[in-house]
Amino acid sequence: MLTHIKGGEIVDPVNGRVGKGDLWIRDEEIVETPQSGRADRTFDASGCVVMAGAIDIHSHIGGGNVNTARLLLPEEHAAHLPRPAATPLSNAGWSTFETGCLYARMGFTTVVEPAMSPGAALHTHLELADVPIIDKATLAILGNDDFLLSMIRDDASPRMIEDYVAWTVASTRALGVKVINAGAAAAFKENVRTFSLDDVVPSYGVSSRKIVKTLQAAVDKLGIPHPLHVHCNNLGAPGSADTAAATIAAAEGLPLHLAHLQFYGYGTEGKRKFSSAAARLAELVNATPEVTIDIGQVMFGQTVTISSDVMRQFSARGTAHPKKFVIHDGDANGGGIVPYRYRPDYYGTIQWAAGLELFLLITDPWRVFFTTDHPNGAPFTVYPKLFELLMNREARGEMASSLSKSALAHSTLTSIDREYTFEEIAIMTRAAPAKLLGLADRGHLGPGAVADIAVYRKCKDIANMLGRAALVFKNGDLVVKDGEITHYRWGRALRLNPQPDAAIVRRMRDYHEERYGLSLDWFTFPDSAILRDEPFREVPCRA
Amino acid sequence: MAVAWISNREVPLERAAEHAAALLHSSRCPVFSLDTDIHGTRAAIALAERVGASYDHVDGAALARETALITDRGGMFVSPGEVRRRADVVAIVGELPEAHHRFVADLAGTVPDLGGANRREFFLIGDGGRQAPLLGGRKPTRLSCAEGGLGGVLAALRAQCAGRQVSAQVSNFAQFKDALTSARFPVFLFSGFSADGLALEMLQGLLADLNKTSRASGLLLPARESGWGSALASTWMTGFPLRAGFTRGFPEYDPWRFEAGRQLAEGETDLHLWISANGNVPAAGNGGARLIVLAKTTQPFAGADVTLAIGQAGVDHDGVAYSSRTGSLAFVAATAASQRPSAASILRLIAGRIPAEAALPC
Repeated sequence: MLTHIKGGEIVDPVNGRVGKGDLWIRDEEIVETPQSGRADRTFDASGCVVMAGAIDIHSHIGGGNVNTARLLLPEEHAAHLPRPAATPLSNAGWSTFETGCLYARMGFTTVVEPAMSPGAALHTHLELADVPIIDKATLAILGNDDFLLSMIRDDASPRMIEDYVAWTVASTRALGVKVINAGAAAAFKENVRTFSLDDVVPSYGVSSRKIVKTLQAAVDKLGIPHPLHVHCNNLGAPGSADTAAATIAAAEGLPLHLAHLQFYGYGTEGKRKFSSAAARLAELVNATPEVTIDIGQVMFGQTVTISSDVMRQFSARGTAHPKKFVIHDGDANGGGIVPYRYRPDYYGTIQWAAGLELFLLITDPWRVFFTTDHPNGAPFTVYPKLFELLMNREARGEMASSLSKSALAHSTLTSIDREYTFEEIAIMTRAAPAKLLGLADRGHLGPGAVADIAVYRKCKDIANMLGRAALVFKNGDLVVKDGEITHYRWGRALRLNPQPDAAIVRRMRDYHEERYGLSLDWFTFPDSAILRDEPFREVPCRA
Repeated sequence: MAVAWISNREVPLERAAEHAAALLHSSRCPVFSLDTDIHGTRAAIALAERVGASYDHVDGAALARETALITDRGGMFVSPGEVRRRADVVAIVGELPEAHHRFVADLAGTVPDLGGANRREFFLIGDGGRQAPLLGGRKPTRLSCAEGGLGGVLAALRAQCAGRQVSAQVSNFAQFKDALTSARFPVFLFSGFSADGLALEMLQGLLADLNKTSRASGLLLPARESGWGSALASTWMTGFPLRAGFTRGFPEYDPWRFEAGRQLAEGETDLHLWISANGNVPAAGNGGARLIVLAKTTQPFAGADVTLAIGQAGVDHDGVAYSSRTGSLAFVAATAASQRPSAASILRLIAGRIPAEAALPC
């Protein structure tokens, strides 16, 4: 079927198209204007901005810890009002089904779950397969697992470590690798309560830095497109900017992605010994081209923090609101679920301001990514409001005027005039994520791209404009019209499939039988276990 | 092989599915009882939404205690793999379901390989019931009080660990205290099978106290693996564990209202859909409700309006089930593949015959 989206204001930075024009779709792909010029269906996009479907690189939408958070907080997702039956199960609050619908309405078409425990890969993919409309992907967590820590301790060859990383990525169907407070979860099991970049994991004698550097090198050598995704040590602590700065310096020329940098944007100034150090971090990021970051913006209100940084979550359990939490010592990382309410007080204001400062002071939109670390900084449903804060300094000023003045005095935010343009938004939320993840088929509107397209009707109210897309196409299917879901479909999980040496499979078999008393078959699964047609789509590694 | 019956008459599968769909469609308050794998659960919940049903596990009481621990309180938990590799003190809380005895025996036959300890010491809190031989000849040290039940023993144990006075001393407490003092990673094995809500909460209170200065955690060994698996799937699909329902057109969670046994006993429901390929059968006396049974059977179930034969996941067909050995969902391959259809496929067949505007989500 040939579809014509006519007369929209195209914003496609990858192909240098910015301005009024047409877009053509044949079945699932964007194509050149056909010679016939006759479409099976035409959509008038005049008065609309047309962009590729947005990509969220870091949003906790599925897997064991996310589901535990749902289970812990039935009161936080009380049922919504009944909706028309066109969207089965999407009226279930905070369900997989609702997740896909809410993302699609905003024009997001691909979302990465950034923290998949390898042992819970099947669970994670089953959940993601029940997220409708959008495509998904996962990052596999390594860096607190005994197998890797033992190899590093025993000076295993880089080749062996690469084989292990490749086996993990392939068997868990991941799109990349994440390390979360490297070594800290293992140390916490031995009753260590704080852990920094140069601290050493007991029983292994391996430092956090060494784990990060080992994984960074393996990911690069394997040609995994997404650089190692790092959740640094000391998240949320006053003075954590020093840790982030040290981790940025540790990139040493190889690509490295730092997750939710806002949560490390804190200095120790002021009488409360808590200030924004975001300007300093932004400067470091600007000066370190091999580093990319996402923000993890904080917005005010009730949320729940979900993290595989079990040590940090344990230390934050006293802040739980409501007063209940789950701490899980897993086979490697485990995790912690701590519900939390961000208040517009001194501390909350510092966090809110630090995130915006990073957004606005990091100059290259190709290296800064739009996230709230859903749901850790805020649920992804605040995205429309957050776009408005980035694109409209008056909206920013208005919000700041109701917040803690003493906190804002410890931040540079009020002195920043920058406003994001649509082109910069298109880079930050489309083009750059596709590049970072190695997804050549999306993030742009050139011929050959998958027809993931978001059309927004222009209006002064940015939040309304970007919160309810006029039209959204996923693989050429019209899925959203005037902000409402019109068609249900099932996306795929994007995955890599690096081929490890056969020897590592034998080693993993022996390891699981000896250490867990179980066959490796308990931890692996065929694609058919998902019970959907083509649940995965393979993405190539770099040659 | 016969696979479908209306009353006690054998009929083609399509016909039975149509009849089941008609009964569900006309029911004013259908109730489902589940004992099935993850895909069976997903299909059952999709059907429940379509017909406005509520759902529970066939053995829902213990599962309700386990889910309530998390929905109401939270706590500290550990994976079974980490218990095997790290736990140098293992305290068994009350009686564990038989399905977990092999795991406990495996713990008794191994020592930790992580964390520096090379021995494993066993304690038994309260009455161990029928599980005495599970440690392969090793005798756990008994921690008990003269009275008070499991919750009372745990309360006394917690108080004594905190240095408080108690009216009834826990037996062998000094030995337990010594073990905790030198332990690297003590773990408490527990289940909703024998522990009530207060006992589970008291155990978590003890864990919270211990973790102020040292490490300890609890391993949930669920009363029924199929129950815990269904609770996980229900939670991602609806936001809620079992004892949820769609009676008002959207999911609601109410562990009292949607207890299937109560609904049947009090005559609140007019239709009961029973799904179990594991040999469980519905109790007699269902308050006059009509009955649809999905079971691994070669004959119609007495008293059922419709009986549909299904296979067992991991035996007759591949499936996905919760594994308390891995603490997560696992693929279970068919060990004796047969023609018996999966619960999921039968439920989808029925759902497809109920008029609706929307596509099925699974």
